[in-house]
Amino acid sequence: MIVGEQKPISEIKQIVASYNKILILGCGTCVKTCFAGGDDEVAVLASALRLSCRTEGKEIEVEEQTVERQCEDEFIQESARAVGRNEAVLSLACGAGVQAMARRFASMPVLPGVNTTFMGVLEKPGLFTEECSGCGDCTLAVFGGVCPFTRCAKKLINGPCGGSQNGHCEVNSETDCAWHLIIERLKALGQMDNLRIYQPPKNWAASLSSGPRKLIREDHVL
Amino acid sequence: MNQEPKSKVTIFHCINVFGEGDALPAAAAADNVEINFVKMPCSSMVKDVFLLRAFEAGADVVAVLVCAEGACRYVEGNLRAKKRVKWVKALLDEIGLDGRRLALFNVTAGDTLAAEQFIRDASSLAAVLGTNPASVGSRPDVIKA
Repeated sequence: MIVGEQKPISEIKQIVASYNKILILGCGTCVKTCFAGGDDEVAVLASALRLSCRTEGKEIEVEEQTVERQCEDEFIQESARAVGRNEAVLSLACGAGVQAMARRFASMPVLPGVNTTFMGVLEKPGLFTEECSGCGDCTLAVFGGVCPFTRCAKKLINGPCGGSQNGHCEVNSETDCAWHLIIERLKALGQMDNLRIYQPPKNWAASLSSGPRKLIREDHVL
Repeated sequence: MNQEPKSKVTIFHCINVFGEGDALPAAAAADNVEINFVKMPCSSMVKDVFLLRAFEAGADVVAVLVCAEGACRYVEGNLRAKKRVKWVKALLDEIGLDGRRLALFNVTAGDTLAAEQFIRDASSLAAVLGTNPASVGSRPDVIKA
């Protein structure tokens, strides 16, 4: 899922400072799971903004709504009426959701309330870890399902650096050494021979470094 | 003649701390304090938005009464409440409302004397901190200076 973190209230207040009537729009999928922009977070932020403004003697009208996904028009359209009632939308979706909203409502300011941080997993309650860089050229089959490009601080792909200690990275001792995980996993799978295969330098042309990417499924395009 | 507005205190409490049968609550309040009780089946039910909405409704102080640590019927409900209260206190500080307006007290089940004392403490805190600045306009008894 896409993991994000709500911006500090002080920054959000600056972003919405010139509006008196805003819609805080949550997204009920990824950012809900990471407690950044679901219906609960919408309610808390709305309440906090009202309290903060009243404390300063200002008034702000805050409407709350959450749609299932802000990155799909089908769900975005559910917010159309609420959008029309307000001066601006504070979106608690990831950056993709904010932009999809801005595209749909061309004359409405759509403002970000969340910092989109990474693609990751819920490792345990309250802990999210980055697992995928979206490089566009997945080689997880070779590495036993552990991505060295994302999870190795040095992005090594032909074996460990040798600096890890007790399975932890020498760059950050709180991070598991990706190569320790890869080797343990390949041992368990009986696929240690994978490590005899030389991995050529990564082709980053498929990644974001070549500019924004498009994915076209011809069978779905009319 | 202007009359001093009553302090408002909202108490969220686990029903295992004290229940409906206990004659505790009103007796603990001073004359110039209005106390609202919100009972919960477990203190873990106290969501952050409930605490904020209590302040929006005009509370000067919000207190959460939870079971003693290690004594939660649902094992970790009071620990969850403690973390949530800590998070909301930081949020209150950030928005300029003063995190001291929110407090959490551990009470042993059935210890009504302790519960009464904590309610008095919350009431005293309301007197010290004064009117919730965000309640102006939402409370007819509070007029902005």
